[in-house]
Amino acid sequence: MDEIIVIALSALTSIAILMLTSLGLAVIFGLMRIVNMAHGEFLMIGAFTTTVAVRIGELSIWLAILCAPVVCALVGAFVELAFIRPLYGRRLIDTLLVTSGLSLILYQIAINVFGTASPGIGTPPGFAEIGSYTVSYYSLFLPVVTVLLTALLYALFKWTRYGLLARAASDNPDMASVLGVEVRRVNLSTFVLGCALAGLGGGLISPMVAVSPGVGQSYVGQAFMTVVTGGPAFLLGTLSASALLGGIANIVSQMFTTLWGLTALLVTAIILVRLLPRGLSGNWSRQL
Amino acid sequence: MGLQPARTPVPVSLVPWIRTASRRGLLWPLLVVVAILALSPLLSTATELKWTLWLSFGILALSLTLVWGIAGIFSFGQNAFFGLGGYAFAVAAFNFFPATGETLTALILGAFIAALFTALLGYVTFYGRVGDVYLAIVTLSVTLILYTVMSSTAGPEYRIGAAHLGGFNGMPSVPGIAFGNGEFSYRELFAFAVCLAGALYAFVQFLITGRYGEILAGLRENEVRMELLGYDVRFHKLGVFVIGGAIAGIGGALFTAWGTFINPAIFGLPQAALVVIWVMVGGRGSLLGAFFGVIAVQWISDQADKIVAQQTPLILGIMLVVMVLVFPGGIVPAVTSRLHALRRRWRSGRGKKDRTGASAPSAAPPDNEADSDGKPVSRGSLAALGVGKRFGGSVVLEDVTLEFGQHNIHAIVGPNGAGKSTLFGLLSGRHKVTQGRVKLNGIDVTNTPTYERARRGLGIKLQVPSIFHGLTVRQNISLALTAPRKHRQRSASEATVLEMVGLLDKHDSLAANLGHGEQQWLEIGMLIAQNPPVMLFDEPAAGMTQDERKRTVNLIRQLSTDHTVIVVEHDMAFVRALDAPVVMLYHGGVFRQGNFDELSNDSEVRTIYLGRGRDAAR
Repeated sequence: MDEIIVIALSALTSIAILMLTSLGLAVIFGLMRIVNMAHGEFLMIGAFTTTVAVRIGELSIWLAILCAPVVCALVGAFVELAFIRPLYGRRLIDTLLVTSGLSLILYQIAINVFGTASPGIGTPPGFAEIGSYTVSYYSLFLPVVTVLLTALLYALFKWTRYGLLARAASDNPDMASVLGVEVRRVNLSTFVLGCALAGLGGGLISPMVAVSPGVGQSYVGQAFMTVVTGGPAFLLGTLSASALLGGIANIVSQMFTTLWGLTALLVTAIILVRLLPRGLSGNWSRQL
Repeated sequence: MGLQPARTPVPVSLVPWIRTASRRGLLWPLLVVVAILALSPLLSTATELKWTLWLSFGILALSLTLVWGIAGIFSFGQNAFFGLGGYAFAVAAFNFFPATGETLTALILGAFIAALFTALLGYVTFYGRVGDVYLAIVTLSVTLILYTVMSSTAGPEYRIGAAHLGGFNGMPSVPGIAFGNGEFSYRELFAFAVCLAGALYAFVQFLITGRYGEILAGLRENEVRMELLGYDVRFHKLGVFVIGGAIAGIGGALFTAWGTFINPAIFGLPQAALVVIWVMVGGRGSLLGAFFGVIAVQWISDQADKIVAQQTPLILGIMLVVMVLVFPGGIVPAVTSRLHALRRRWRSGRGKKDRTGASAPSAAPPDNEADSDGKPVSRGSLAALGVGKRFGGSVVLEDVTLEFGQHNIHAIVGPNGAGKSTLFGLLSGRHKVTQGRVKLNGIDVTNTPTYERARRGLGIKLQVPSIFHGLTVRQNISLALTAPRKHRQRSASEATVLEMVGLLDKHDSLAANLGHGEQQWLEIGMLIAQNPPVMLFDEPAAGMTQDERKRTVNLIRQLSTDHTVIVVEHDMAFVRALDAPVVMLYHGGVFRQGNFDELSNDSEVRTIYLGRGRDAAR
C-alpha cells in the first residue's frame, strides 16, 4: 500500500516537472505560434540564476527561485526586440532556425561562464515518512505550485483585459491592430511572460536536477512533444498532455530504467500525434 | 560522342541513352568522380581523411536538399537518420566483421534501419496530416530524445550481440569499410567515399530530373492542387522522406567507418543545426550546393577553431542567425545566379541559334487536335444524397439532395452563409459529411479522400487560383496531364490545352509571374488537361473583368459539350449567361430549384437577394 502511494507521488512529481518545463513554451508556441527552440536555454538560465543566487549570493532558496523569472524576462525582452520582432509574418521555419541559433549561442556562453561541471544545490530540507519510505516535502511542493500556476495563468488569459488582447493579437494580428490593439507591445509582453515562466520552471526544478549548460536541451524535446500533443488549448491541453506523458514516462522508468521511460514518452507522443493530429484538446470547446 | 565511329561503332541504341543521361545531368558527376580518383595520388593522407569526412557530411546534406529543397518538407532531424545509420553500421559491423570479414552488409543495414525509422516517423506525421512546422518540431524532438536515450545506454546490459552501445562515450574501435580482404586503407576509403557520393548524387539527380522530380516540385509548390489533380500527397511525401532517410543513413555509416567511432553527440542540437546551415549556405534547391555548403561551412569553422578553440556551437549559432536574417536564399545561389546572368549575356552575343531550337517542339502548332475530338466521351454524374454537415454544435448544411449530370451545366447560387462553400467541400472531399452519401459516376465516394475522387473523374477549380507558383506554365499543365487517373477520358495535348486558355506564348514563364486573370486561366487549363467527366467550378468569375467573364462563360459552355460542369457562383449576371438549371441554397438547405427566370421572378428569392436579384433580373 505504502509503495503504491510512493509510486503515485513520484509520478505526480514527474508530471509537475514536465508541466513546469513546458509551461513557458505553451505560452510562446502554444498561444503565440512562435517556435522557440531556445526554450531549453531559458530553463537553463533560470536554473543557473537560482543556483548562483544560492551559492554565491547566499540567498534563501525561495528568494533565489523568484530571481529566475526576473532574469529570464530581461533576457527574453532583449531576444524579442533583437531577433523575434523582425520575423513576425515570415515563415515559421525562419523563427525556428533563428531561435535554434540563439539556443546554440546561449548554450556556448553558459559553457564559457560556468564550465561543463554541475554545481548542485541541495533540495530544501524536510521530508514526509510514508511507512518505511521517505518523500521530500519539496517534491510534494512542486505539484502544488504547478496547479496554482496553471490556475493563475488560466485566470489571467480568461478574465483580464491583457489576456483578451494577448489572445486577439495571436489569433489575428491584422484584425487586432485594426481594432486599435498595439500588437507589437502585446506580443512583447506575452513573449516575456513565456520566458519568465520558463525561467521559473528552471528555477523550480534546479534543486532536483544536475544543473549544467546542457540541462535545457534534455528538456526541450519533451516540452515540445508535450505542447504539440496538448493541442490548441494551450494551458489545459498542455496540462493533460503532461499528466499523460509524464505519468507514463515515470511509471515505465520506475518499472525499468529512465531510458525506457523516455522511450515510452516518445512512443506515446508519436502514437497520439497519429491518432489525434490536432492534439488532445483538438475537439474541446475551450480555448485555454 | 568522343569515340571514333569509323573503327568501333557505338551500338546505335546507346547513343540516345547517353544523350538522355547528359541532358539529365548524369554524365558530369561521373567525370568529376573519375577526375578526383585520377588526382588522388597527389593528395596527402590528411587531406584525404578530411575529404572523406566532408563527403559523408555532403551525403547527409544531399539528403536534406532532396527532402527540403526539392520536395519542400522541412526535416529538422536529418542528423537523427544519419546517426541511426551510423549506429546500425557500428552494431552490425561488430557482429558481422569477425565472422565474414566484410562490412558492406553493415552499410546496407545502416541505410535500411534509417529508412525504417523514417518510414515510421513519416507514416505518423504525413498520414496524421501534421502541419509543416509540427513536422520540424517532431523530427527535432525525436532527435533530441534519441540523444538522451543513447546517452543513457552506458550500463553493461545495453548490448546488441557483440556490440556495446556505450552510453555517452559511444562505441569506439568500430571496424571500417571492408569487402572481405581486410579493412580499407585511408586511400581506399577515400576512393570508396568518392564513388559512393557520386553514385548517390547521380541517383538523386536522376530522380529529380524525371517525372518523379515534377511530382516532388508539385508537392513543394502546392499540396492542395496536387491532391485535386489526383496525386496521393501523403504517399509521395512519405516516399521522398524515406529515400532521404536512407541516403542520410548511408552517410552515417560512412561517417562511422571514417572515424571507426560513433557517439550520441551526433543526435545533438548543434549537429541538427549544422545540417540546415550546410544546405542553406549551399542553396536549398541545389544538389551541388549540398557539397559546396559542407566544404564552405566546415572550412570556416576549421579556421574559426584556430582563432578561438572549442566554440563551435557559438559559431554555428551566429551563422544560423545571420543566414536567416541576412541571406535567406543561400550564398551559393546568389553567386551562381550572377554567373548564369553572365553566361546568358555571353550566349546571346554569339547568336540565338540554340535557344530557339530548345523551345521549338512545344511551341509547334497543335496538329493532333482530332485526337481530343475524335472519341465520344461519357458524361459524368455527381450526386449528394441527403448530405448534412455539422461543425461542432452548429448545423451548416442539413439533408441536401442534389443530382448533377442530366444537364450540361448546373449552377448553385445562394447568399453568404447559405452553405455553398460547405457543400462544395463535401463534394470535393475536403470536409467529411456528418450525414448522407456522395456518389460520383454512380459509385459511393462518401469516405473517399480528395485525391481518389480526382482519380475517378472529379476536377475542381478553386476560387483563389491554386496553381504551382514556382513552376513554369508548361510544367503546371504537364503535372495535370500526367496525373494518375482511373477514368477513361483521353487528354488533349499540352499545346492544345495551352491554346484553349490562351497561354501558348507564355508556356515558359513562371506561373508566379502571370497576371491574376492568367493564373485563373492556367488553373482552368489544368482542369482541361486533367479532363475529368465532372468539373466543379467555385466562383470562377470572382475578381474577373467584364471581358474575362465573357470568355469564361464561353469556355464553360464549350467544355460542357462533353463534360458535366457544376458552377458555384455569387454573381447573378454570370449565372444568367450560363443559361443552366439553378439550385438556390439558403440557411443550409435547398430553397428553390428551376431555371434562372423562374428564380429571378420568385418574390421570396428576390427578398433574400435584395437589390442583387432585381438588378440581375432587369
